[in-house]
Amino acid sequence: MSNVIEIKPLTRVEGHGVARIYLDGKRAERVELALTEPPRLFEALLLGKSFEEVPEIICRICSLCSTIHRVTSLLAVENALGVNVSPVTRLYRELIVNGGHIQSHALHLFCLVLPDYFNVASFAELAIQNPDLLKLGLKIKGVGNLIQETIGGRLIHPVNIIPGGMGKRLNRDELMKLQEALEAILPDTVKAYDLFASFDALGPPLPRSSFMAVQGETATPFFGDRLNLSNGRSVSAANYREVLHETVVRHSNAKQSLFEGEETVVGALARLNVGIKLSSRAGQAFFNAREKLIAADIWSNNLAQAAELILAVELSLEIIATLLNFDKGSDKPVTIARQKGSGSAATEAPRGVLIHSYSFDNRGFCTTADIITPTAINQSAMERDLLALAREMEGADDAELKLKLEMLVRAYDPCISCAVHLVRL
Amino acid sequence: MTKPVIAIAGLTACSGCQLTLFNCEEELPQVAERFSFASFPMGLSGGNECAPIDAAFVEGAVSTPEDLETLLNLRNRSRLLVAIGTCALWGGIAAMKNNESRKELAETIYGDSAHSIKTFAPGPLQRFVTVDFSITGCPPEKGELLTTLASLLHGTLPVFPGYPVCTECRNRENLCLLIERNEMCLGPLIQAGCNARCPTVSIKCEGCRGPAAEANVASEMELLLGKGFSRREIASRMRRFYPEWNYEQRY
Repeated sequence: MSNVIEIKPLTRVEGHGVARIYLDGKRAERVELALTEPPRLFEALLLGKSFEEVPEIICRICSLCSTIHRVTSLLAVENALGVNVSPVTRLYRELIVNGGHIQSHALHLFCLVLPDYFNVASFAELAIQNPDLLKLGLKIKGVGNLIQETIGGRLIHPVNIIPGGMGKRLNRDELMKLQEALEAILPDTVKAYDLFASFDALGPPLPRSSFMAVQGETATPFFGDRLNLSNGRSVSAANYREVLHETVVRHSNAKQSLFEGEETVVGALARLNVGIKLSSRAGQAFFNAREKLIAADIWSNNLAQAAELILAVELSLEIIATLLNFDKGSDKPVTIARQKGSGSAATEAPRGVLIHSYSFDNRGFCTTADIITPTAINQSAMERDLLALAREMEGADDAELKLKLEMLVRAYDPCISCAVHLVRL
Repeated sequence: MTKPVIAIAGLTACSGCQLTLFNCEEELPQVAERFSFASFPMGLSGGNECAPIDAAFVEGAVSTPEDLETLLNLRNRSRLLVAIGTCALWGGIAAMKNNESRKELAETIYGDSAHSIKTFAPGPLQRFVTVDFSITGCPPEKGELLTTLASLLHGTLPVFPGYPVCTECRNRENLCLLIERNEMCLGPLIQAGCNARCPTVSIKCEGCRGPAAEANVASEMELLLGKGFSRREIASRMRRFYPEWNYEQRY
């Protein structure tokens, strides 16, 4: 006789999901992670839209990662149409992506995950029980948002970054304000890292995975043209279709992506394990707690995100220093001719590998769109870990089991709106 | 004084309206202190699915039976139902292709598996329930969300501008992208309150806040057609956040 334990809805994650554990007697027999987000059909919405509209529409796939979706979409559109943007434009895009990582990681760590370490149900209880810690996180998060709003013109769904360039570049004062704010939170990010390094794992050891991340020879962290795996495999990101296979799963509105038939994990922990280039303080922090991060299970993803908070702040400061040395130059974006073309781009979203790929007809209207999101890639490893954890906890009472399983889902920091999107046309 | 009880839920959407609350970094601890949360799946575990609510904030369009169930549950329990964001108020980005068959759109994505997916053309909340108050925007402005929360504490609701983006844009002395740069700016039709964010960084208004009161749609159409834009391009852009424009409307 089988019995089902259902966690509905999964809370403190982005989007709508349900986890079901099917028991045979006491033993967990199988697990379903159902991403029940209403179908978004974004790839279908993009068809027939002009190349200018594509980035403006697709960033609405998800608010938590709207910046990286927008930037990835711009890169894919520009690759498709053979457009080269100026070095200054590239730097602004890198800066806003770092701002996005700061805001997303700080939101996840302090508003969604931290309550678990203090046995409370939400940020609201944390605000009463431990207000200083919540405020520390919100201060860091606020600076990520300041970067996104100053460059993007808006907090969520940035508007100021467009195909070929930017609407308006920042002036010196604005850059220096960002610099000041970033310098102020750098010590806070180190504090945040030490805090997460001081916590024990939230649950028993889980299976280890191969990790995957986007890298490039010369490219800066979070950008690149290759998909590298922790097992040494490396493929060109443009050939992602040869290795990443999507399948429709009956119980979920998202499609699962497997790397050559096997689950692989993406995200902050994957980036550290594949070997993202670290800045000085981030490198030091990583070294100090390396035994918790190297070849670790997913519980360590929270600590890895904290390491990336330091990294993103340091990278942002480097970029601003470079931008302050550039002459202001022309604001005018590159003019783009309407033409036929196909192209893709891969980046590191806060939650891991993100790929956009488009084709346009000779009038610049979108004819195919394909998007692979980190949560779709992580989905099968999440299910594997949920099953392992449920078996490890055999005999635990339902409430305790549900609590731990939810913590496990949260450690992956899933973005369900992103995962339930669209897919290849 | 007892704390007002609020609930926050998302339907078919990107969670951006809920994130807007988290983006009030300065004010969030105070919000946590002054309100009691009945349910807010993105922000808290536990929650109470039966308790009466003073104000329910609902993000997103309605496009599945589950969306409708959530909406009806919240409507039944709440004194005020607040539509938050463009999707909840106008249909938003999910509704832009409501003139095409939802079934075919789903098949484009899910292929043969599409038949098992229950979805209908996304619609705004007011198509299904009475909506007491709305905060527009994609994303909504932090200020408008906080003003609404603060007003609730005083037992009232704020009044937001019904005039178009152009009014704010002119106040900021921006270059007019529509007249002076011949761009497809939707400022004349769109509800203000964003302080003309986009035109201020030289980006044309994409219309994310939905129609202003008494929008002169026919005139904007004539103006844009006169500038050489095709009807297809204009309609595509105008439908992005609101699929039901009356292109003949004149004031």
